[in-house]
Amino acid sequence: MAGTIRAQYPTTIRPIRVNCTARVTPSLIMRSIGSGADGVLIVG
Amino acid sequence: MLDVARNENVKLYTYSEVSKISGYIGNFSVEINQRARYVNNDCNGCGACMDVCPAYGYNEFNQGLNPRPAIYISFPQAVPSIAQIDMNQCIKCGLCESVCELEAIDFDQQPEIIKLDVGTIIVATGWDEYIPEDGYLGYNKYDNVITQLQLERILAPNGPTNGHLVRPSDGKEPKRILFIQCVGSRDLNRNAYCSGGVCCMISIKNSKLIKQHYPDAEITIAYMDMRAAGKYYEEYYTASRKEGIQYLRSNISRVYEDPETKNLKVLIQDTLRETLGVKEKEYDLIILSAAMIPDYDISALIKTLKLEVTPDGFFKERHARLEPIETKIPGISLAGVAQGPKSIAESIMQAGGAASSAGKLMKRGKYKIELITGEVDKEKCSKCGLCILNCPYDAIKMVEDGAEVDEIACRGCGSCLANCPSEAITLRYYREVQYEDQIDALLEGIKEEVA
Repeated sequence: MAGTIRAQYPTTIRPIRVNCTARVTPSLIMRSIGSGADGVLIVG
Repeated sequence: MLDVARNENVKLYTYSEVSKISGYIGNFSVEINQRARYVNNDCNGCGACMDVCPAYGYNEFNQGLNPRPAIYISFPQAVPSIAQIDMNQCIKCGLCESVCELEAIDFDQQPEIIKLDVGTIIVATGWDEYIPEDGYLGYNKYDNVITQLQLERILAPNGPTNGHLVRPSDGKEPKRILFIQCVGSRDLNRNAYCSGGVCCMISIKNSKLIKQHYPDAEITIAYMDMRAAGKYYEEYYTASRKEGIQYLRSNISRVYEDPETKNLKVLIQDTLRETLGVKEKEYDLIILSAAMIPDYDISALIKTLKLEVTPDGFFKERHARLEPIETKIPGISLAGVAQGPKSIAESIMQAGGAASSAGKLMKRGKYKIELITGEVDKEKCSKCGLCILNCPYDAIKMVEDGAEVDEIACRGCGSCLANCPSEAITLRYYREVQYEDQIDALLEGIKEEVA
């Protein structure tokens, strides 16, 4: 989506594709933050 | 419509609604609730009952502009041409029963549930005209403020006035007529969208029609932008300007009534010539060109079909540009204004597309499913049922030893596993460990930095 609308976003963002935002479990979010991510953005 | 009814391959259920749907592409089972007409199929639409019926109700087809008997045929070209009784108005005098030669009146008729097995479904539920709130631009407050559909019925030869343009307050021919465009559309407080230029074209058509019958009528169209995009549309618009219809680019916020003459006053400014300033003008009749909105009674069907809608309330297509006909559920497609505002020509195009997309699936007889589906480890399943509540596709069933995913209906979204408290469900190809490894790999460098 960010690609089709040619949105600019910082290079420090690491996208991970999920089939549906409902697929994101709390444990995945906690793992990302635990691994050093500053934040997790769930975008649909 | 008559051709459809006569085609032996088409079964038509009118005065009915879909009350239940289950299954998946190729194997949908549908329940249709056919309401009671209180007149059986022997009726040949002769209308003898309508002549003797002493009870009256509003004629919905004519936008409530004239009365109709309690036993009525909904509109002259109705298919099938069978009378129906409005039980809210009927006084059960039995006069219709006594005049009906075919003995078609049946006061004891009950609604009927019809069960069907179908392979594909096309949703074409159409639209309703936006009803402005009482008092907005004088609607429902002043007699001579009507909507575009009401005007449409007044101008129709079989309408309440036999096609003669008269205004509701005194039955006189209006001389000065104002059309107000974008009522309830392109308005952030009502509907943000534009109704696809349909209301623009209807106003042009009706103003030309009025001008044709009453050449001395002074017609003004107050518009935001005239959206005449389509084959011959711009030419049609230009022709109407040549015929003397006045177009004023202006925003009208209030309408006042002269209590004696019932004429209407508005403050109007041509925003393309602002130096002329705001002027007060008087009109005999005001027509509100109201937005096209999804059918007012659609919410139950949305739940039944388990489809999504866009924020404007129309059914959501799978992709706005690439798959504008299909929905998120394979085997269910959309046609016409159910998907978004559009003209008759565009609706016919989309209907053709929907028919061929259904036909393609039916002809092939086979459907390839994705392997990305949920899997349940029944040993871990506690049968709590949270997955069933969260499944947007109705693909999970509870059986004796745990939840079971229907692999055809499942679309692999993963809502079930994210909510599963016992971690009994996994999504093929998108398992938790795969995501964990992805996260770890992407954040590897950062972790070292932090440490």
